[in-house]
Amino acid sequence: MNRYGKKSFLTSREIAKTRAELTVSADRLDCNPDLLTQMRRDVAEVLAKYINTEEDNLEIRLSFLCRWKRGISDVKTIQIK
Amino acid sequence: MSEVIVVTSGKGGVGKTTSTANIGAGLARLNKKVVLVDTDIGLRNLDVVMGLENRIIYNLVDVIEGNCRVKQALIRDRHYPGLYLLPSAQTRDKSAVTPEQMIKLTDTLKQSFDYILLDCPAGIEQGFRNAVAPADRAIVVTTPEVSAIRDADRIIGLLESSGLRSIDLVINRIRMDMVKRGEMMSVEDVLDILTVNLIGAVPDEESVVIAANHGEPVLGSDSQAGAAYLNIARRIMGETVPLLHLQEHTSLFHRIADLLVRK
Repeated sequence: MNRYGKKSFLTSREIAKTRAELTVSADRLDCNPDLLTQMRRDVAEVLAKYINTEEDNLEIRLSFLCRWKRGISDVKTIQIK
Repeated sequence: MSEVIVVTSGKGGVGKTTSTANIGAGLARLNKKVVLVDTDIGLRNLDVVMGLENRIIYNLVDVIEGNCRVKQALIRDRHYPGLYLLPSAQTRDKSAVTPEQMIKLTDTLKQSFDYILLDCPAGIEQGFRNAVAPADRAIVVTTPEVSAIRDADRIIGLLESSGLRSIDLVINRIRMDMVKRGEMMSVEDVLDILTVNLIGAVPDEESVVIAANHGEPVLGSDSQAGAAYLNIARRIMGETVPLLHLQEHTSLFHRIADLLVRK
């Protein structure tokens, strides 16, 4: 695992996309990207208690009500695939 | 009815000025009367990209301060008779102009032009505020890099908070060979993150650099980048134009390199 919570054989395209997603989400929430990574892991751990799946098969995505208001209250949904 | 469009990005060096010049040339080629306003006071570049640097007599600040009339400061393009440039001042700073003065200026320009394109400086300070104040719509330029995407998202947020609702994205310098090798984010990757309307994707081509070296638009050349900019102009005018199918570099060198990488 690398610092983005993904296996290290990712292509540089995938690494860039993950970094961009994390950075943009962190900016919108005004928090550290590492905190978001930790949040995803925690959500995955909780889900693993109830669903028989591996972390790698989960896609956890935050969507926002709007871009410019900042803070966790603007998170519209936490989407899990 | 005339429209004021700000071309912005947040991050510098992503191709705002080149995009402004070529979208403007595209609109002029489609028989629209267009003026490009360089709002980057102190660091003007649009005149150089258009090859008009030797024809500047008056500039934006001269017009704002009443040292000349608007028509005296406008420079007609060498290639397209419907395309004009209002150059920026090189020896002043951004505080020489206020957002209210920019609104007044564009109101005057609206009487003579179909489209007013404002080339916005990098950053989110006074120059950005000046350029955004009179805009009816915005074109945000980004490249498929993490830093440019991050700044584009911040800029889109600021544009939305300023009340601008018509915001389109141009993804510049796409290299399909790198995308296919898994070394560059694709158009779809960028759209997944920014969730904004795409108005065009422009490939990274030598022709863009060569055209800028000559002070000419890439539009007239036989290149994908030129075709992409012309399509953007058509979409601005409301036409429905499918996205170009961007091709990889097909030179012998690239094909051999690709084969070696695959092995």
